[in-house]
Amino acid sequence: MDALTIAMPKGRIFEEAYELLVKAGYDLPKELDDSRKLIVEAPNENIRFILSKPMDVPAYVEHGVADIGIAGKDVMLEHDRDVYELLDLGISRCYIATAGMPDTPMNEVTPRVATKYPKVASQYYRGKGEQVEIIELNGSIELAPMIGLADRIVDIVSTGKTLKENGLVEYEKIVDITSRLIANPVSYRLKQKRITELVEKLRKQASV
Amino acid sequence: MTIQMFEKPLGMRDDFPFIAKKKAELRTNGTSIIQQAGYDLLQTPTLEYYETIGKISAIADNALFKLLDSQGETLVLRPDMTSPIARVAASKLLKEKMPVRLGYYSNVFRAQKREGGRPAEFEQMGVELIGDDSLYADAEVIILAWNILKNLNIKSSRFVIGHTQLLQLILQDFGLDQEQIEKVHAAFVSKNSVGFESLAKQLPIEPSRLESFIGLMSTSNVEEWQQWIDPHNAKQNSLFEDMKKLKKILDRSGLSDAITYDLSFNSHMTYYTGLVFEVYGAGSGFSLGNGGRYDGLMKQFGLQVGATGFGLRVDRLLEIISAVPEQENHTLILFDEQGEDQAFDEAQKLREQGVRVTLQFAPAVLAIDEFSGLFSKVLRMEGAN
Repeated sequence: MDALTIAMPKGRIFEEAYELLVKAGYDLPKELDDSRKLIVEAPNENIRFILSKPMDVPAYVEHGVADIGIAGKDVMLEHDRDVYELLDLGISRCYIATAGMPDTPMNEVTPRVATKYPKVASQYYRGKGEQVEIIELNGSIELAPMIGLADRIVDIVSTGKTLKENGLVEYEKIVDITSRLIANPVSYRLKQKRITELVEKLRKQASV
Repeated sequence: MTIQMFEKPLGMRDDFPFIAKKKAELRTNGTSIIQQAGYDLLQTPTLEYYETIGKISAIADNALFKLLDSQGETLVLRPDMTSPIARVAASKLLKEKMPVRLGYYSNVFRAQKREGGRPAEFEQMGVELIGDDSLYADAEVIILAWNILKNLNIKSSRFVIGHTQLLQLILQDFGLDQEQIEKVHAAFVSKNSVGFESLAKQLPIEPSRLESFIGLMSTSNVEEWQQWIDPHNAKQNSLFEDMKKLKKILDRSGLSDAITYDLSFNSHMTYYTGLVFEVYGAGSGFSLGNGGRYDGLMKQFGLQVGATGFGLRVDRLLEIISAVPEQENHTLILFDEQGEDQAFDEAQKLREQGVRVTLQFAPAVLAIDEFSGLFSKVLRMEGAN
């Protein structure tokens, strides 16, 4: 049996995906005691998990240090990586949307958009023929319209709670997001049997 | 932008001696196999016209290095070897000698946008078999690529084979127009199963055939292809028969376990018109090379002949084979004025015996111990000692 290395985002997605794999019949260790571990082994299945920042999963997979990985579609849209997208796992469902203060039109002279997703945001506004200035931020995006840094933000919305708590409203939905199973092109060919088997097992479990 | 003293243009690399040596070995081994298979090596210019090679090469426009010559014509640093070789082959000189077998080991240039470290200049080694449209030519180049990999000791190399024309005919059978087919192609090239499945639902495909359509993406042997072949379509049948025959030849040559026949496999290189393939090997996360049939490219040079070939990326092969630098026999002779004569004679003698010898005037070396450490054997021929 080929050894399989799977790159996973730390946190909630990892837990959901891990559960999905257990449900699909994979014999994985029951307890993940130390949450600070970066590498988790599942010797019974000859699988090794690499835990990384969600944004980094496609990089691990593209370079082949992980054979497959689980990555949000948002990350894949933002970082154009050469990986195969094999399955929509249907977990961590959310969407990317534009939001801002209620009833405020975009500034006509210098419309500004703050976001963690500069590529997605820029593509969206260019597609609509609107010229906006993109401001890349790394967190607390909601702050931007509140203090007048930007008219709009482009960000992930899952429940809408964060927006509401900060007095923001959603304007337009840009794209639906779920977690995807991705594969390195070379691993996909060299370990095709194992990877397709995993895809088929997960497909049955995925809620889509 | 200020440029630091040690900086090189984006994507350009120095080959340090260890790499340069490995490369030279690889080149010798590879080109000798190519020549043994009956191919002649050739070299084409580094600069070509943008109007001809630049446009024909199928490398994205923004990946070309462009410059102007003194007449104001736009030139490109050659982005691939296939199109220049096609140009040479189509010229009068070689036209009468068809089929021609040409091989090369050359550097090509492709500008990089992402992550500075990717090479923008790299060597490719490959062949082009021009003027033969039979499946034997396709089989020949695949077997040749396989032999090179085997010689380099690359473990579990794998070929993935598809067929552009056959796929096109099958997609047409599903009632798709060219625009829709291109969307499907794009999903196939990036092996985007999720995108493909949602695209399939939007396309005007009969519901009863939807499952069969989605199945296109998951084939791994030729026999599976049969289900999409229309028995009344002569062209489809003859291409399919060719594929079966090709498989037979490759099986006979010992490649049976090394090949995946994936009907949806496709290249972003638009000039491929028939069989296409890509090469992978354990140890690199990126493909080692690719190839296929490009009859359409020859047509652009005004020649209606078949052509097929492959190119392997030397930098990726190197990544796999150069894991451990081996300790080689390298003698250092340190001398000073008194030991001069003796040292020169000894060096001459050892070199004649085939030993690699570095002859060094000792007082010129700042750190004798560190410097000596670079060699497997040190001889000191100094008068004082």
